[in-house]
Amino acid sequence: MRDPSSLKQQFLKKWILGLQVCGSGKQNMSILERKEAIKLSADIALASARDGRTRWSRATIANASKHDDNKVLVQHLLAPESESLKKSSIGLVVRDNKRVRCKKILKWSCCVKRVRKSVSQVVLAKSIAKRMVNRKTRVLKSLVPGGEFMDDICLIEETLDYIESLRAQVDVMRTLAKATELVNGK
Amino acid sequence: MINRALLPAGGGENMLHCTDMTVLERQRARIKWQQEQQQQFQLQQQEISYFTELADVFHQAGVHEGGLSEVVTRSVKPDPGLVDNGWNNDHVVGYGVGLPYNNGLGFELNYGAISRTSSCPPEAVAAVAEATVKGSESVVSDMISSGAGRESSKKRKVDKAVAEEDTRDKRIKGCAEQGESKITEKNNNKNSRNNNTNKNSNSNKENSDETSKDNSKVSEVQKPDYIHVRARRGQATDSHSLAERVRREKISERMKYLQDLVPGCDKITGKAGMLDEIINYVQSLQRQVEFLSMKLAAANPRLDFNVDNLFAKEQAFPACSINFPTIGMSSDMTNPAYLQFNPAQQQLVACCGLDMGIDPPDMALKRTTSAPVSIPETFLDSSCFTQTHPPPTWDADLQNLYNVAFDQGRQTSFQTQPFTGSIEASNLKMEM
Repeated sequence: MRDPSSLKQQFLKKWILGLQVCGSGKQNMSILERKEAIKLSADIALASARDGRTRWSRATIANASKHDDNKVLVQHLLAPESESLKKSSIGLVVRDNKRVRCKKILKWSCCVKRVRKSVSQVVLAKSIAKRMVNRKTRVLKSLVPGGEFMDDICLIEETLDYIESLRAQVDVMRTLAKATELVNGK
Repeated sequence: MINRALLPAGGGENMLHCTDMTVLERQRARIKWQQEQQQQFQLQQQEISYFTELADVFHQAGVHEGGLSEVVTRSVKPDPGLVDNGWNNDHVVGYGVGLPYNNGLGFELNYGAISRTSSCPPEAVAAVAEATVKGSESVVSDMISSGAGRESSKKRKVDKAVAEEDTRDKRIKGCAEQGESKITEKNNNKNSRNNNTNKNSNSNKENSDETSKDNSKVSEVQKPDYIHVRARRGQATDSHSLAERVRREKISERMKYLQDLVPGCDKITGKAGMLDEIINYVQSLQRQVEFLSMKLAAANPRLDFNVDNLFAKEQAFPACSINFPTIGMSSDMTNPAYLQFNPAQQQLVACCGLDMGIDPPDMALKRTTSAPVSIPETFLDSSCFTQTHPPPTWDADLQNLYNVAFDQGRQTSFQTQPFTGSIEASNLKMEM
């Protein structure tokens, strides 16, 4: 696994940067706006900490860049790595999606509906299990950013990385929250 | 398969991309190592006997499939005089875990080298041993004395139990284990991560002998080469089912790693159940992020996290230290040892300590306003520090932290000069 503490350091640094960018903008934001800003900068910071090496991070950045308001934030956070990272993220995501979509269309066009005869218990159970797995895979794909366009193997790898990053994110945020609580409580 | 059995042994920690010793990878390794088999077996025997006489200076490890020659070039220059240093056996097989710690950044590279399969002559090995000795003698002795007995017995048991190439894996793990469990995990993870990146580039050329010999480059481009897979006995041989089988194996391998990562998945064996757990875990993590961001939004009416009072954070550490499950911060590690391993972090902590020593309130203010970006590093590092202390009460821990940090500050005060310079520079950058 990649070094967890350095990941956290990177994430925290970028996150604070992003928050400064957000905070310097509007004043008197409502609590929901603040929460969105916090979460957004956290997500982008986390994704950029991966340097575009994983698909989910690229997908997050691409999604964030779609909205104009976020573009500024993205630019600031990715500034060290330059605009090229952002562009390449979008480009890669588009390319991946296109490829997978083409494959899927091909598959559907070739698939023929089979007539189901009476089947044995074992086969029935197997098909049920398969369907369950497929259903769950679809749910997982909806959870992991950019997951709908990945095949199974990729999906699991990306999930691994994503879980690790999420954990780091939660840890850092939790500690920060506690710290601010203490500061305010004093 | 035997190899599968090995994986959990090194696991129990977060493994992102673990040792990819799939069928294909192992076959490749097998071809390459056919010449080395005898030598390695010998060395393995020697290794086992070495453990019983672990001195302060040397780490014993098997010959690693690895550009140890590469490692040598990166480290201190070799001293062949080391070889006759009173060891009973012919080859001093010494490859130190300490080596990575000498070059903090070289750490990854070294283990990346290890993961490659190439021949490793004894001279190179001895040279590496010498490098190890030169670099990290005292540190290594600490590590060895703390972990030696425990690790050696573990390693011996493991080594005897498995076959040849599997021993190679274990030796990589085991020699790392000599120091601390942290290093072991790091090794495995880095090793496996490098394997994984190699895998992406070598992706499907594993068994083609010629191409697999070229281990120097790691390219991220996936090459559309062919997979050579052997059909197992009694199984279908057409290409579709073979491909299916490879795919299934890959999936199940990765599911195993997920099992280690997601808590509470040890009992579940089916794919569907595992996926269920994974989904639940990811959902809960995402929900936590939402909740925490809401909490932060509520706590900060102005989104100003510049008021990162160093001390507030320091106080939070004892309670929060458990929140940083930094893998590899095993309780065996002592602070000085940890400091030596991470010179970069050491500087940061030193600064933090120095601040507290000199004039806490003023320095804190100065530092918070001038260098908000540097704070995270001290923040996180100090938290790592407190992990080694037991967390009784707040006051006690705060006191500990002050003491520890102050000690470090005294030790490394001379290093703060260049660091503050960089703080000013980063401050300027930010204000632009």
